[in-house]
Amino acid sequence: MPRLEFGSWVEDAVGWLQTHLAWLFDFVNSVLEGMYEGVDTVLSAGEPLLIAGIFAVIACWLRGLLPGFLAFVGFALIDSLGLWDDAMATLSLVIVAAVITVVLAVPLGIWAAKSKRISGAIRPVLDVMQTMPAFVYLIPGVMFFGVGVTPGVIATIVFAMPPGVRMTELGIRQVDGELVEAAEAFGTSPKHTLTRVQLPLALPTIMAGINQVIMLALSMVVIGGMAGAGGLGEKVYAAITQLQVGLAAESGVAVVILAMYLDRMTGALNQRVSPLGRRAAAKAAAAAGRLKFVHYKPGTAIATVGVVVLALVAGGMNIAVSKDDSGPQTAAADIGKGKKINLGYIPWDEGIASTYLWKELLEQRGYETDIKQLDPGPLYSGVARGDIDFQTDAWLPTTHKDYWDKNAANLEDLGSWYGPTSLELTVPSYMKGIDSLEDLKGQGKKFKGKIIGIEASAGMMKTLNEKVLKDYGLEGEYKVVSSSTSSMLAELQRSIQKKEPVVVTLWSPHWAYGKYDLKKLQDPKKAWGEGEQIHTVAHKGFSKKDPTVAKWLKDFKLDEKQLTGLENAIKDAGENNEQQAVKTWLKKNPGLVDKLAPVPGGGAKAQGRDAGMTVDMGYFPWDEAIASTYLWENILEDRGYKTTNKQLDPGPLYTSLAQGQMDVQFDAWLPTTHKDYVDQYKDKLTDIGSWYGPTSLELSVPSYMKGIDSLEDLKGQGKKFKGKIIGIEASAGMMKTLNEKVLKDYGLEGEYKVVSSSTSSMLAELQRSIQKKEPVVVTLWSPHWAYGKYDLKKLQDPKKAWGEGEQIHVMGKKDFAKDFPELNGWLKNFKMTEEELASLEVEIQKGGPDQQKESARRWLDAHPEMLDRFAPVK
Amino acid sequence: MSRLQAEHLYKVFGRRPEDAVHRLEAGADRDELRAEGTTAAVIDASFTVEPGQIFVVMGLSGSGKSTLLRMLNGLLEPTAGRVLFDGDDITHLNPRKLREVRSKKISMVFQHFALFPHRSVLENAAYGLEVQGVAKEERLRRATEALELCGLKGWEKSWPDELSGGMQQRVGLARALATDADLLLMDESFSALDPLIRRDMQDQLLELQKTLKKTIVFITHDLNEAMRLGDQIAVMRDGRIVQTGTGEDILVRPANDYVRRFVEDVDRTRVLTAGSIMEKVAADTEFSDDEGSSCSAETPVAELFAALAEGTTEISVTDDDGDLIGVVGHEQLFSALADEARIDETADETHTDKAGAEAAPTAGVQAAVPAPRETVKAVKSDA
Repeated sequence: MPRLEFGSWVEDAVGWLQTHLAWLFDFVNSVLEGMYEGVDTVLSAGEPLLIAGIFAVIACWLRGLLPGFLAFVGFALIDSLGLWDDAMATLSLVIVAAVITVVLAVPLGIWAAKSKRISGAIRPVLDVMQTMPAFVYLIPGVMFFGVGVTPGVIATIVFAMPPGVRMTELGIRQVDGELVEAAEAFGTSPKHTLTRVQLPLALPTIMAGINQVIMLALSMVVIGGMAGAGGLGEKVYAAITQLQVGLAAESGVAVVILAMYLDRMTGALNQRVSPLGRRAAAKAAAAAGRLKFVHYKPGTAIATVGVVVLALVAGGMNIAVSKDDSGPQTAAADIGKGKKINLGYIPWDEGIASTYLWKELLEQRGYETDIKQLDPGPLYSGVARGDIDFQTDAWLPTTHKDYWDKNAANLEDLGSWYGPTSLELTVPSYMKGIDSLEDLKGQGKKFKGKIIGIEASAGMMKTLNEKVLKDYGLEGEYKVVSSSTSSMLAELQRSIQKKEPVVVTLWSPHWAYGKYDLKKLQDPKKAWGEGEQIHTVAHKGFSKKDPTVAKWLKDFKLDEKQLTGLENAIKDAGENNEQQAVKTWLKKNPGLVDKLAPVPGGGAKAQGRDAGMTVDMGYFPWDEAIASTYLWENILEDRGYKTTNKQLDPGPLYTSLAQGQMDVQFDAWLPTTHKDYVDQYKDKLTDIGSWYGPTSLELSVPSYMKGIDSLEDLKGQGKKFKGKIIGIEASAGMMKTLNEKVLKDYGLEGEYKVVSSSTSSMLAELQRSIQKKEPVVVTLWSPHWAYGKYDLKKLQDPKKAWGEGEQIHVMGKKDFAKDFPELNGWLKNFKMTEEELASLEVEIQKGGPDQQKESARRWLDAHPEMLDRFAPVK
Repeated sequence: MSRLQAEHLYKVFGRRPEDAVHRLEAGADRDELRAEGTTAAVIDASFTVEPGQIFVVMGLSGSGKSTLLRMLNGLLEPTAGRVLFDGDDITHLNPRKLREVRSKKISMVFQHFALFPHRSVLENAAYGLEVQGVAKEERLRRATEALELCGLKGWEKSWPDELSGGMQQRVGLARALATDADLLLMDESFSALDPLIRRDMQDQLLELQKTLKKTIVFITHDLNEAMRLGDQIAVMRDGRIVQTGTGEDILVRPANDYVRRFVEDVDRTRVLTAGSIMEKVAADTEFSDDEGSSCSAETPVAELFAALAEGTTEISVTDDDGDLIGVVGHEQLFSALADEARIDETADETHTDKAGAEAAPTAGVQAAVPAPRETVKAVKSDA
């Protein structure tokens, strides 16, 4: 059978959707999140017990006094377990998902009931929705919508929809045909037949469907916790992956309470809304007779009054409480000013420790933080999308290689903070005689031929299977059982308790080494490879968005003692107290806060030796001239200099330099372009040195023009480009070179016509074509900001038809070195790469014409190391 | 002008129904079509119903009578033919117009009542008015009146499932009457009721009809019911109307064997009238009143038994003016019960029927068959 590449088609489709329907996903995302936030704000606004009271009143209204009392007890229990906020988050998710599901499912069910064809078409879709494993669409959901509420809600809707549709269809189809005929015989229109006869009679069945929808939604939002949907799901998921059975059980109980409440209430709601249900309830009440007060149900009016009163009290208290809350904050270290930073972590010990450490540090510095526990896959795509700003537990280069590779384009590595780590096979220390991987050979029976692995997707599992087993000749004798980290740890614990032989995959650092008496098996053949480093990985552009935090993270380092100390502190404090543990630990390590998160600008920046001197700078309006001039203006100000700058045409600028009125300019193109000026004032100028080069003139195409990499490739492709090369001003020197030399040398005359216009039209045409993905070839030169902004390819010039490139020099007045010895030194060493210059130019472009200085400042802040590189002080 | 007129109605279910109609018109057989998967439910049905008449369509199940009924109010669209109601062609109305006609002019009473279980008795009765868009107060008032008319005063607040079958059908009848529709379609409306209740309902319908004078099309499979209620009776078999006429026509002059066999079981004494079995006397014969018994020509035979059993030898039959037109004695009575052929001779010499040549298959036990039972007993004991 030929292999059907279904999987890769799906991946292509997902990729296509991601690029082309991003706006739709963003829209859906904001709608769903908005709904969720709205509901959650209401539910979690009040005092828990008052909200529990509201739930109890609703229960009273629907079912009677005893259920009302039980509801109150249940919700009070949730509160006493400390899970109130999570429970309300989950309830909000269920409500949002269920409402959307019902709104979609009921009309769909009605439609299906009316038309056999629709019914037939819908059925297989519903089957897919119901049976497709949730993870299959949960994780792509993360790719589309990012980590958070939305993928969870979408997955929930998908999962919960089928019973809603099916039961609605069934309910309507079950309505006695004679009744429908009777309605028609009396002249009822189809619409009214639906509303007056079919829907009221189908209502009990539809309500049963809605009940199913809600219950399925509840079970699904728990799974949604894996995608960062929050609430009890996240708690359950976190607890299970960390083997915290107690916490998992507590969260489970809370889920059950919610489930029972929702089930009973929707069941009872059926009696309230459907006339048939009302009748049945009335009959039952009449039959009950004794113990009337237990069955007492307040009327709708009384119940409404109860709910409103409790809601008002809750609202009132909320206002009072929030007033108390808004106390003064320690303003001194408030760098974040409430800026929100999202952190994500994999539930590995060092991940938890470092994440909570940073949560605490950031909060002390005035940031608001949000942390989410996730699996590596969703975590990396969350960071890549920017839903999560950074995560501190990236094992590179091996363990997380696949995730990194997949998302590398949108990630930024902020460096490693811990290492080296190691991977190993480990046995309990009571396994005498087994100290090295070599000792495993021939002992397969003892271990039942099993090595307990972790998630099949983990990088170390691949290494184990493909390298370690092979190197030590253990293939065949041992089979690696892949499960999950928590299952592996559970198996380890079980075996240790029974003193059974077991060999597991493990890594250092890991808390298991502290908890159990374990032996790492030596690896004399180095089959596991070198140890890894734990990196901090941020969303691409994070260091620009928040240079301060990025700098802290880049400088972040913990040694083994610190890390284990912190991990132990967290383990000792127990579940749910991570941040408190971090606080205590930080108190025990005074000064660490300032070391890890120093307040920038706290000390003034180091002043230059020549601080206080005024540098007069001139420039003409070329992009790189503007960029470098304003960059240096900022650098010099940081170093205590004063600056002035003036825009001039090249002629007057060189003249004023020669006369000593101007101190320096940064944009001398040599040896060709400015040859005349420099020759003219040769003795009155100082060439301080070149900072960029070589420059080049070229034809460029967008990089999506596959197969066109060189000027030679243009030949024969004239039709594709409509025979046009987009040029700049006809007067420009390069246009002459292009027409008289380049086209001739590559035999492109006749096939291509150079359209001369203006630099800005050329750039506009370039942008237009790129947006439409149309073929275009333009004249361009380096450096140019367009290279930073668009993904362009310079066409190679093997025949050197464009001539040699130039260098951009810094040109000073005659006595520059004498007047500014320190600055002279800095400028002599001044060098920028094409990439750096392009990013600076793009930043200035973005800022607009009046903001050049500020834009340069922003760029400098985003690259904090530049200051010391360009202007080092002792 | 006749109120309701059906002209060559056809209803064919299945593939290419129009073709089937053409073939039926050309003389094709119903079974022939069925073999090809098309079902001809109604074939070439034509009849006329006069205002104030009860028109009974009678046939066994599967004979197409319910289908015929549903074409009359447009619930089913005829494959061919048309229905004229007060001169309007029901078959070619647009759906909105058709709904209006249904809500205002035609109501229907169903076999299994078809009451809405989620509505109270009053709300059920008011349903047709609700569809018409009558204001709430007005429609509840009229629904209450209709319920009262049907003998359900005091039950307005009840729910349908709290009522007995007969009462439920009264609600169905009240629902149909409340709209003041001129035409009442009744689809085996009393068939689901047990016999005594059925009789009551029939009586009540006749009673109501005396005052309301509705035009009623009544479907039944029960010949006795048809005879009791019907001013005109159409007998259907296999989709075709095989005979249309008064009860007596059907009974006395069956159009074919099928009708004949069908009417065998009927209680003749309730259908046959004194006029149809009497021995005619000369117009000027003196009429002696001393023996005390006389009746009109329309008196059902069943009502003669008592007098004859008490020893009267002959009962005089008089016309509207009180003139003697004939006599009925034991001889006539027994002959009428025993032998149809003789009735044919005496009642209608012009009517020729092959029944004469062909003896009724169960002629020997005829006398024992008639229902209702009490009459049979009376006859036996008298004999």
